Amino acid sequence: MIRGLWIGLGLAVVAAAAMLLAGANPLLGFWALFRGALGGERQISETLVQTTSLLFPSLAVAFAFRAGLFNIGAEGQLVIGGLAAGVIGARLDTSGLISIPILLVAGAAGGAVWGSIAGILRARFGGNEVIATLMLNIIAALLANYLVVGPLHSPGAAGAETAELPHSSWLPTLLPDTRLTVALLIALALAFVLRWVFDRTVFGYELRAAGDAPEAARRAGIDLAKTAFVAMALSGAMAGLGGATIVTGVLHRFNVSLSPGYGFIAIAVALVGDLDPLKIIIASFAFGILQSGALTMQALAHVPKDVVSFVEGLAIVALAARRFVAGRKQMTAVAQE
Amino acid sequence: MLGREPRRGAELDRAAARAEVEKLSREYGLAVDPDDVVETLPVGIAQRVELLRELAREPAVLILDEPTAVLAPAEIDALFATVRALALRGTAVLIITHKLQEVVAHTSRITVMRAGKVVARLETAQTNVDAIARAMVGGELPELAARMETTPHPALAVRGLGAGESSLAVRDASFEVRGGEIVGVAGVEGNGQSALADAIAGVISYRGTIALGGITLPAGEPARRIARGIRTIPQDRRREALVLPWSIVENAALGDQRSPSLRRGATVDRKAARELAKRIVEGFDVRTPSVDTSVSELSGGNQQKVVVGRALAHDPKFLLVYQPTRGIDVGAAALVQSRLIEARNAGVAVLLISFELDEVLALSDRVIVMYRGAIVGTFERGSIDRARIGSLMAGAGLQTGPVVESA
Repeated sequence: MIRGLWIGLGLAVVAAAAMLLAGANPLLGFWALFRGALGGERQISETLVQTTSLLFPSLAVAFAFRAGLFNIGAEGQLVIGGLAAGVIGARLDTSGLISIPILLVAGAAGGAVWGSIAGILRARFGGNEVIATLMLNIIAALLANYLVVGPLHSPGAAGAETAELPHSSWLPTLLPDTRLTVALLIALALAFVLRWVFDRTVFGYELRAAGDAPEAARRAGIDLAKTAFVAMALSGAMAGLGGATIVTGVLHRFNVSLSPGYGFIAIAVALVGDLDPLKIIIASFAFGILQSGALTMQALAHVPKDVVSFVEGLAIVALAARRFVAGRKQMTAVAQE
Repeated sequence: MLGREPRRGAELDRAAARAEVEKLSREYGLAVDPDDVVETLPVGIAQRVELLRELAREPAVLILDEPTAVLAPAEIDALFATVRALALRGTAVLIITHKLQEVVAHTSRITVMRAGKVVARLETAQTNVDAIARAMVGGELPELAARMETTPHPALAVRGLGAGESSLAVRDASFEVRGGEIVGVAGVEGNGQSALADAIAGVISYRGTIALGGITLPAGEPARRIARGIRTIPQDRRREALVLPWSIVENAALGDQRSPSLRRGATVDRKAARELAKRIVEGFDVRTPSVDTSVSELSGGNQQKVVVGRALAHDPKFLLVYQPTRGIDVGAAALVQSRLIEARNAGVAVLLISFELDEVLALSDRVIVMYRGAIVGTFERGSIDRARIGSLMAGAGLQTGPVVESA
């Protein structure tokens, strides 16, 4: 986490430089960013909404990563999860006690299916999950667009989205008149459960072994193909669940642009958080601040909100590259023994 | 040719490069095929390539770190002849090795290091193997454990085994390893030993059958083999046996993570894993600050003690051991060898694959010789003929068919 702070500091410097380039005052920019994100109850709750939406895919990325799989398809899995929840939710009018669990499970299932495609390709044919998940992101976006505009078009829906979910299917809010829902609690609980799975369970042990030393894991009786499949399916389920909470808790309908790239930012969040579920909570909050403060920053300090996207993109590239280099070094060290 | 590529203009002159490699290979008696891709070669052959590359540069100072760990006896002789010739021509040669015979036979001066410090400086002419060994361990070398009388009983039976690819394959191998005996596989690296070991471990596909206690093992299921009491000490401990960033505790459970003794329902029994790690550390004299230390911080010898301790911790029926003392210090090597003998005394069936003939001969009740993937000779302990085994390892058995000598 100390390293996470250094990374944060470095990114802040880069952000300041970017603001200068954009002709704005960096100090004013940061002030506006934090005011927009933390300046009041409404701002803080909105930041926590962003934190929640980031936390699900970030945990998904970390989970796959611990198993040695670079799942960069959380975005697509999140979209498919949201699609499943939105399509079913628009047609389901019953008590929330029944519909909400159904929609969340549907979202998780949709994400799991999407993640398993890459999992099967990897498990059965040794296909590279990076390329598979990357492609599946594009397919997910196009598929979702086609379905909601075409075959699954809801009467009365404007644009590429489903009809609004009945009120009974909306996630309960934690604070009145905000978009902050119980999804935050679900995400936090998921983080703690994952930490427990990694640290305490035989399943988590085998998963980490497969990720940290695949050859030793294989010889220790761990089925690498099965592990890859299960890890990708569960990773997809977490991202899909995140998509379902955006649909049921934030937008109350599925919209093809429900995610401003949560699944991609999640890669940076997971790596800043050292792939540790509990540290990832903090990292998600930090990136949540960026997400929710960006518009205020643009309005008050005349810093284009794209500066935030730029910094996030930089974080993804830098951290992913670092991870790859570290991985290569480790392999070389082993080869030299 | 890296670093001194022959050129034709801006182009690489491949023909000249190949010719030079062939010339060097002949000159130094180190056989390599210029067109092989190094990545695909067994470590012994890859090392020959490395050696040739350095020798070709006629260096002023040549540092060799464990140069003979994976070479055949004839190759070792050729290497030292080359190195001596270089030394006579004025090259300063520094050899880092744990093989004391080589030190005594081929050097002028000897420096002994222990735990990172120089503990002795000796003139080769005025010392001997025992004195060096004492300096290395800082006292007397532990004696190997005594071999007890055992009543061998059927354990592992291999019939018509074929596995692996082309020149590295094992072909039509049949043999038995009984409980209470160590069967040693003698051979130069790259003669099918890897494929043999991987087939028995269940990590590659194979033809023929492998049975334990009369029950044929299904292929490709390492987990089932572990459950039946098969344990392996793999070739590459850092990659195939240990999860380097993990602690000794976590590594101690690897392979037995599903065994009832190490789990409580779906969770890891951390207390049991810790107890096991402590038992291994104490029983195998693993030098470590604590059982929570990451194994990557241990020396090679101590890592290997963890691997061997883990393999023996759950009363295995059959133990596959691949180069158990490669690259580890004499003290650790003696301990590992003693523990293998003790396991044998206790009735474990042990298959020992080693490229160090001395090790094979010292530990085995029976020696089988592998050449080009086939078993070309079998010797019972009483009838071991070192010279005969050496020549079979070099290919002398091909014309005559398999040699079987019993006591």
